Amino acid sequence: MEWDWNFVREIMPTLIQGVKITILATVLGSILAAIVGLAIALARRSPNRALSRSVGWFAEFIRGTPLLVQLYFIFYVLPDIGILLPPLVAGVIGLGLHYGTYTAEVYRAGIDNVPRGQWEAAKACNLSGRHTWTHIILPQAIPPMIPALANYFIAMFKETPLLSAITVLELMNQAKSVANTYYRYIEPMTLVGAFFLVISLCSVVLLRWLEHRYGRIER
Amino acid sequence: MKKLAILAGVAGLAVITMLLASGAKSADDAKLDQLKGQGFARVAIANEPPYTAVAADGKVSGAAPDVAREIFKRLGVNDIVASISEYGAMIPGLQAGRFDVVTAGLFMKPERCAAVAYSEPVLCDAEAMLVKKGNPKGFKSYEDIAKDTSATIGAPGGGTEEKLALNAGVPRDRVIVVPDGQSGLKMVQDGRIDAYSLPVLSINDLIKKANDPNLEVIAPVQGAPVYCDGAAFKKGDEALRDAYDVELAKMKKSGEFAKIIEPYGFSAKAAMSTTREKLCAAK
Repeated sequence: MEWDWNFVREIMPTLIQGVKITILATVLGSILAAIVGLAIALARRSPNRALSRSVGWFAEFIRGTPLLVQLYFIFYVLPDIGILLPPLVAGVIGLGLHYGTYTAEVYRAGIDNVPRGQWEAAKACNLSGRHTWTHIILPQAIPPMIPALANYFIAMFKETPLLSAITVLELMNQAKSVANTYYRYIEPMTLVGAFFLVISLCSVVLLRWLEHRYGRIER
Repeated sequence: MKKLAILAGVAGLAVITMLLASGAKSADDAKLDQLKGQGFARVAIANEPPYTAVAADGKVSGAAPDVAREIFKRLGVNDIVASISEYGAMIPGLQAGRFDVVTAGLFMKPERCAAVAYSEPVLCDAEAMLVKKGNPKGFKSYEDIAKDTSATIGAPGGGTEEKLALNAGVPRDRVIVVPDGQSGLKMVQDGRIDAYSLPVLSINDLIKKANDPNLEVIAPVQGAPVYCDGAAFKKGDEALRDAYDVELAKMKKSGEFAKIIEPYGFSAKAAMSTTREKLCAAK
């Protein structure tokens, strides 16, 4: 079995279609994960015991089950109760929820890192709970956690091939369908690896920059 | 002195060629010997009843593996061990040496014949489509799906139906790759796809198990030919294939072949009335 550059040229447009979907799924999934993570982190700190307990249990549940199983559940089981999501939407929700439970821990660490004095100062200034969060705590908590969040988003990017199981035509699925047609795996799979590597490496450079820019905690 | 060296060289070459030739010869027989030695043959299946099926307890059945099991027994290989694979992954898997043979209803088509060594025909079937009751979009052929710009069709990845749909002009983004029969059925029920295409007997099996009055089968699909599968061997294992063919021919003659496949709904006559040559040459 040898490498065929003509074949590579032939399948490239198909794979690039897949790359677009992969990136789209990652970006949308990251946005959702960032929002879900914040919501979970805030809910777990809520003074309302019932809320913090149930959200905490929910997050443990999601974190303790495989993403692939969750995707199957969202895609094949939810239609039974009338929720019919298109493949990409189902995939983004799966990724966003799953990674949201991890990013919640990042938020928690970031919020815990804000010195106690800041809370007390906010109280002393008679700021409302809402104002304390939006003007004092979160602006100080979020910048140091940007690199850690970005790390999870890169990890999520590498999980997107799982979406091929729910018929999303992303990079892995495109490569599989190419392999199915030509009975050749070496070029499509190598290219999938190469695409992921190139995008990951670029993201790592961006991550380094983010670390440099936001990573230091100013006291 | 120089002449002598050349002569020695030629003689050496001749010996090497002979060794290589005999090596190749014994490699052919070696394949069967190796299978006999390990006591089983690895086959690729798809879990698509009635072609291939895996019971809840893991027992492999279905028409194609049953025929293969019997033939391998006659060849002195006691059992078959099956692994479930996607249709598209079968031929690459065979080439990579992951299986010894594919017995999965992998229909003979010229491009597949070029990639593997097929046995003589085993199972023949036409194509069908599963749609909602009353066939709301009025499909009769794959071309009808190509024409309706909102219609989507599900098919197994790398399967014959996927290629038929693509060849009929259905664009790639409307041919949904469905991992297995149960998912395909579910996707039609949920309205994710308008039609799900498989061979007639597979669709009938699926709808019988589902027992859903809101579904309907269109069979046969117009314009799609009747295909036959064969056991597919790796190129280079032709000796094993030939031995397989001999036993298959004997079983076809004695009627044992019909006895195995007809309970599954396949026609032995259809398989016996055609040949590998004809099917591999067909367009």
